[in-house]
Amino acid sequence: MIRTIFLITTVSLLSACSITDDYSGPAVVEDRSNVTQESIIASDESNFESKSIVGTSASLSSTEKAAVVELKSAGASFILHFSYDGFDIDESATAQIIKHANFMRDNPSVDLRLEGHADERGTREYNLALGENRALSVKEVLGLYDLSSRVEVISFGEESPVSELHDEDGWQQNRRVEFIYR
Amino acid sequence: MKFKKLFVLLLMLYVGTANAILEVTVLKRIENAFPIVIAPFDVAGDVKKGKIIANIMRDNFNRSGEFNASSADAIVNKVDFDHWQAQKAEAIVFGKIEKVSKKVFNVWIHLVDVYSKQELYAEKITVHDSGIRRIAHYLSDRIYFALLGEKGSFYTRLTYITVVNKGKRKREYRLEISHSDAQNPQTILTSNSPILSPSWSPDQEKIAYVSFENGRSEVFIRYPFVRRKTQKLPYFDGIASAPSWHPNGESLLLTLSKDGNKDIYSYHLKNDKLTRLTKDTAIDTEASYSPDGKRIVFTSNRSGQVQIYIKDLKSNQINRATFEGRYNAKAVFSPDGNTLAMVHRVDKDYRIALLDIKSRDLTIMTGNQLDESPFFSPNGGMIIFATNKDNKGVLSVVSLLGRQTFALASKEGEVREPNWSHYSK
Repeated sequence: MIRTIFLITTVSLLSACSITDDYSGPAVVEDRSNVTQESIIASDESNFESKSIVGTSASLSSTEKAAVVELKSAGASFILHFSYDGFDIDESATAQIIKHANFMRDNPSVDLRLEGHADERGTREYNLALGENRALSVKEVLGLYDLSSRVEVISFGEESPVSELHDEDGWQQNRRVEFIYR
Repeated sequence: MKFKKLFVLLLMLYVGTANAILEVTVLKRIENAFPIVIAPFDVAGDVKKGKIIANIMRDNFNRSGEFNASSADAIVNKVDFDHWQAQKAEAIVFGKIEKVSKKVFNVWIHLVDVYSKQELYAEKITVHDSGIRRIAHYLSDRIYFALLGEKGSFYTRLTYITVVNKGKRKREYRLEISHSDAQNPQTILTSNSPILSPSWSPDQEKIAYVSFENGRSEVFIRYPFVRRKTQKLPYFDGIASAPSWHPNGESLLLTLSKDGNKDIYSYHLKNDKLTRLTKDTAIDTEASYSPDGKRIVFTSNRSGQVQIYIKDLKSNQINRATFEGRYNAKAVFSPDGNTLAMVHRVDKDYRIALLDIKSRDLTIMTGNQLDESPFFSPNGGMIIFATNKDNKGVLSVVSLLGRQTFALASKEGEVREPNWSHYSK
C-alpha cells in the first residue's frame, strides 16, 4: 500500500542554470500513455540490463516486482522530463518523486537507480554531464527523505534515446530521468 | 570529388627506410589553389595499381585546400612540357614502383616544374611489406613538403566511432581506425554498449576511449597494433569520461564527477596520481591540452551558458575564451596553439567555428545543422568533423585555406567523433 507521508513542500534545488530558449520551464511530469512501451524499448536498446517490467530490473523478487507494478498502476510516473539544457524539478515533478519516496520507505528491500538522459543537441560529453545533473536533481529530492544511500545515479547522456526523431517532439521525449527499481 | 569506395587492403603494412631527400624547393604559397598533375605510377606494368596511387594522392592534395590536383591519362615517361603548360598545370608528379622481393619495394618519385622544366625534387624510397594506399599517403606527405616546405597530414590515422542500427532498436558500436582519408577502416572493438570520445595517444600506439560496457561511463586504453590487454582506469564514483592525452603521453585529462561536481582532472598513468584542475559547481568537461602542455581548454556552463574556457596551468588563471554566440563547446587547440576549433551554435544549428585566441575573431567554417567533434589535422591545415547528411552521420574534412569541405566515405551506420593521430614514426 502506498500511504501518504508528510510532504516537505519546500525543496532546495541544485544551483539552477538553464538556457531556455527552445523549451522553457522546469521538469514536466510524464503524461503520455505509452510510457511502458517506450521504457521497454529503451531498456532493450540500451542493453545494459534487462528490464522486463517498466521500472524494474532483473534483480527484483516477484513480490518486489508486483509492488513496483502496483506503484505504476497507482499513477506514479517512472519517467520525468526536462527542459532544454535544464535539470530543475518543479512542483508536479516533486509530487511524483515523493510517490517514489513513499514507495521506497514502504519497501525497504528495493533500491533505486536513476538514469539521466539528454537530447542529441550539443556535444556528447556535455550531455553525459547534463544527464547526470538531471538524475542528481531527482536524487536530491529523495535525499530529503534520507533515501540517498539507496539511490544510484547513472548518466547515459544522449546515447540511449527513446525517440529517433530529430525534432522538438523527439528531443522532449529524450530529455528525461528514468526510475528503475533494483 | 569522388572517392574510391571500399578498397580493402589485405596486407599489414609499414613503410621502412627512406633515403635522403635530394633537394627541397619551396614554392611560394599562392592565393589560389596550386595546379598540379599527378600522373599514374609505373608499377611494373600494373596499370590499375599505378592509377590508384595517383588517385589517392590527387584526392589528398585537393582535400588540403592548397592544391588543385588532377590526374593524367597516361604514365609520364618524358614530360611534354608544352602540353602541360597549355593545360595550365604548374607541377607534375610521377614515379615508378619496383618490386625488389616479395615484401620490399623501391619507389622513385619525381616532381617537375612545368615552366622552368626543372626537377624540383626526386627521391628513391625503399618500402617494406607495405600496401599501396599507405605508400600513396607517405608519398603525398613527401611531395607536400617538397612543394610547400611544410609537413602534410596524410601519412596519419583517424579513429572514430561507427554506430550500426541492428534493428529492434539495438545498436552496435564500433571503435575504428583508418587512414587519414577514412579508407582502409579496421574495427578494433565492437560493443552493444555506447563507446565515446576516442583519442589517439601522442605516440599513436594507444587509444583512450569511454565505454559503457559495465553499465556506466568508464575510461579505457586500448592498444590497436599489439597484443596487449586493454587497460581500464581505476573506478571513480559517478562519471569518468572525456579522456584526452597530455602531449607527453604520460597523463590523461578526464572529466570526473566523483566529488559531486563534474570537474576536470589530470590522471597520471604511471603513478595513478589524480590532480584536480577545475572546481566549480557547473559542468566542466571536454578538456584538452595546448600543444605545449601549458594550458588546457574546456567546456563549462559556469556563466549560465555553455562556453569555452582556457586555464593557464602555471598561473592557475581561468579565462573565458568565447564571447560570440550563446553556445560554444568541445574546443581543441590548433597545432600552433593560436587557434581553437569548436562547436558553435548559430540559431538552431551547430557548426564548426575557429577562434583566434588573441584577437577573439570567430570564423564559422561549416554550414550544416549538426556538425560536431572538430579535430585538427596534425599540420593544422584541415579540420575533420562529424556531421549529418541525409539523416546519416558522416565524417567531413574542411580545409582552412581553401574552405572546401569534403565528405569522407562511410560504409554503413553513423560515424562519429573523429580524432586525428599525430605523425607516424
